[in-house]
Amino acid sequence: MADPVPSKARRLAVSRRSFLKTIGVAGAAGTAPAFLRSGASAQETPASEPGAKRGGTLRYGILSAPAHFDIHQSGTVANLGAQGPMYDCLVRRDPRDGQTIIPDLAQKWDVSPDGKKYTFQIRKGVKFHDGAELTAADVKATYDRIVRPPKGVVIPRSSLFTAVGEIVVVDPYRIEFRLTEPRPKAFMLGAFASGWNVIVRKKTLDDNHGNLRQIENFPGTGPFRHVSRKDKELWIQERNPNYWNKGLPYVDRLEIYHLAPFSPELGSAFLSGKIDYARLLDPVSWRKAKEMPGVTAAQFNQSVIQAFWVNGKRKPFADPRVRRAIHLSMDRNALIDVVKDTAPMQIGGFVYPFHEASTPTSELVKRLGYQADTKAAVQEARNLMAAAGYAQGIKNLDFVVREIATFKLWAVAIQAMLKEALNIECNLRVVQTSQWFEEAGAGNFDLAISAIVSSLMDPSDYFEAWYGKGGPQNYGSWTNEQFHTLAHQIEREVDENKRKAMIRQAEDILESDPPLIPVAYERINDAWYNRVHGQNPSSYFGIYDVVRWDTVWMS
Amino acid sequence: MQKYLLRRAFFALGTMIGVSLIIFVVLRILPGDPLVAILGVEGYNKMSPADHARIMADLGLSDPLAVQYARWLRDIVTGQLGKSFFRGDTVRDLILHRGPLSAEIAVLALVVSWLVGLPIGILSAIRPNGWADTIARSLSILFIAIPGFWLGLLMVLALLFWFGYKAPILVVHLWEDPWQNLQLVIGPALVLGLAQGAYIARMSRSCLLEVIREDYVRTARAKGAVERAVVLRHALPNALLPVITISGVLLGFVLGGSVAVEQAFGVPGLGRSLVTAIIERDIIVVQNLVLLYALIFVAVNVLVDLSYAWLDPRIRYQ
Repeated sequence: MADPVPSKARRLAVSRRSFLKTIGVAGAAGTAPAFLRSGASAQETPASEPGAKRGGTLRYGILSAPAHFDIHQSGTVANLGAQGPMYDCLVRRDPRDGQTIIPDLAQKWDVSPDGKKYTFQIRKGVKFHDGAELTAADVKATYDRIVRPPKGVVIPRSSLFTAVGEIVVVDPYRIEFRLTEPRPKAFMLGAFASGWNVIVRKKTLDDNHGNLRQIENFPGTGPFRHVSRKDKELWIQERNPNYWNKGLPYVDRLEIYHLAPFSPELGSAFLSGKIDYARLLDPVSWRKAKEMPGVTAAQFNQSVIQAFWVNGKRKPFADPRVRRAIHLSMDRNALIDVVKDTAPMQIGGFVYPFHEASTPTSELVKRLGYQADTKAAVQEARNLMAAAGYAQGIKNLDFVVREIATFKLWAVAIQAMLKEALNIECNLRVVQTSQWFEEAGAGNFDLAISAIVSSLMDPSDYFEAWYGKGGPQNYGSWTNEQFHTLAHQIEREVDENKRKAMIRQAEDILESDPPLIPVAYERINDAWYNRVHGQNPSSYFGIYDVVRWDTVWMS
Repeated sequence: MQKYLLRRAFFALGTMIGVSLIIFVVLRILPGDPLVAILGVEGYNKMSPADHARIMADLGLSDPLAVQYARWLRDIVTGQLGKSFFRGDTVRDLILHRGPLSAEIAVLALVVSWLVGLPIGILSAIRPNGWADTIARSLSILFIAIPGFWLGLLMVLALLFWFGYKAPILVVHLWEDPWQNLQLVIGPALVLGLAQGAYIARMSRSCLLEVIREDYVRTARAKGAVERAVVLRHALPNALLPVITISGVLLGFVLGGSVAVEQAFGVPGLGRSLVTAIIERDIIVVQNLVLLYALIFVAVNVLVDLSYAWLDPRIRYQ
């Protein structure tokens, strides 16, 4: 152990080189986010936990009947929930905190000083489940596909890598990603660490013309291997004895039960002890589980915003004052209360309320539109409507509601709030999910309620998709040149402090000219019997990054 | 008899073709894009029109309706019944795997309905307007009025919260583990059977009351036959004809009701698969399952008609 107080002699012995190194490290630590490790080493991968037991079966309940098997093309936990344990990524989020980026198939990495070149050193001796050895060619084939999907292949995460120009195999165990313009390191490494970006064999992609939708069991390098799958029932996986991370995984067998989120089946399966670990429990079952002896219940943030859109192409809503008035007329605390037995929610604005750059919730709840007492906000909303020429309200609005319990409950509450605060009358039109997206995409609505997700917590991931001009989830067809210019600057800004200030500025623009009306931010309810060890998701963001169960053990 | 059978088969075939056309057209008219469920919301939003067209063509949904219908008929004839849009599983495999559970529930529900409904109907008819009849009629109205899925949900919650019990969550066939299998099917069968039993009780009561007043029953009594023999041997067989007819119709209700009740109990049967397929807009699965339900309904009704001759010697088919 080092001396706590170095002697004068030792302090004097510091060389110019080590002094500069120390300054450099201190500077980096001050500017980089705490969870980011640059040039991390293999020792930081999850190692065997002292006292951890090997063996046993983990019975895990989660939505796990995917519409297809191509993880890259998916956007639902139905894929990652079941397939995640069979694959690895280049880098990953540490399962111990869900935040820190640590090595995975890439043993270490370097980022060039100009932030335009990411070089990854691939581990040697890693085998796919079919026995083939992993090389940089597989990583290149995987990322070529993610960055620029072939025809007929749709990959939602391609937008994370728009700055990637070239992917170059330097040698069989080294690969370079050359960017056309810089991106914040946290953003890029977060994109590489996204649980969706699993590494697959080049041969697998070549053999299937780049489309794995119908391939149930394509080889991965992950800690578990496919054994059998019964559609909409059970997916069984076994320990990969050749896993590169020696000592892991601990459990011999994973039984992944298909149980829908927030469903009574999931709740009853957990409460009756038929599964060991439940993800996405409904609030009633979760509260019950929390009271049970021998059970741990945790809650964490989900990468989803629940919102409703106002159609900016239709006359009253082209006026930002009308949109802001609607935004201010919402009693968000009441809306969260309305669904408290259906899904867990928290208050938030236009940026994830738990992101380090967003306005903290303690400040947010003092703002108009987020306060517990809505009187002042409603008065301001009425003034705005009067100024816009709609003091008498608006009638006969078409409110398209997605056929999901929370949206139906909210739609009724929002309808009442709009009527009471602003004399806006709307007719609810409940439609199936598939129809909702058709209607929203075609702009066939005045108001439309749903939820949208992002891959990363970083605003640069979703500013373009949610609020960007022509963004795929900008259903209200919203535009604001000042915001679009700022969003592009935020995307390229590598100085964290400057970036944070710019994000706050963006928030202000969105508050005054809302592209959508935020309703709430979802939370995730997990619960597990205390015989399950080695994972606590309390500090995780979303359910898409830490999905591997390699560090979990059973007692 | 043969002529009659041929005629019934011909009409049944016509009905099935009509049903298939209606299902096929309705599923293609209904709004909603199946690619939302296939690609997920994020993928769907980021899909270009060219990719949309390509994937629809891959799924065969861009072909003319006549071609799609002919393809479906071919799949029915070959017994494959087509493949789900999702994961590519065949509908035949789905039916073979989950169908036995739904069939067990339907059969058990019918058995329960007869076991409960018939004795109650007989008791009510023997002592009409007595206290037993009043209780039986009140209960039958209650079971007809209570929605099966609600009763099912209550049963699931009561068993869970009072006894910490939950039925198996996977498909377990009768031949694999009869005890586990029984735990899966008994709940839905009871809920559906009690509701249908109420209809059976009311129908058997009214039919028996009518028959009991017939001359031949009075004759049997006059000859000194004991009351039990009069009711069970002379009156009941003749009163059963309408009860059997209604059982055929009730099987349709059982099949329809099983969709919601399987959902409430979390039983992985065909009814639950149908609900999932409708939500996912997996039209290949929906059209085949609805057709299967229609086929069962038609077949049961033909069988009911044929059973008349066996039960009542006066009836002859021409």
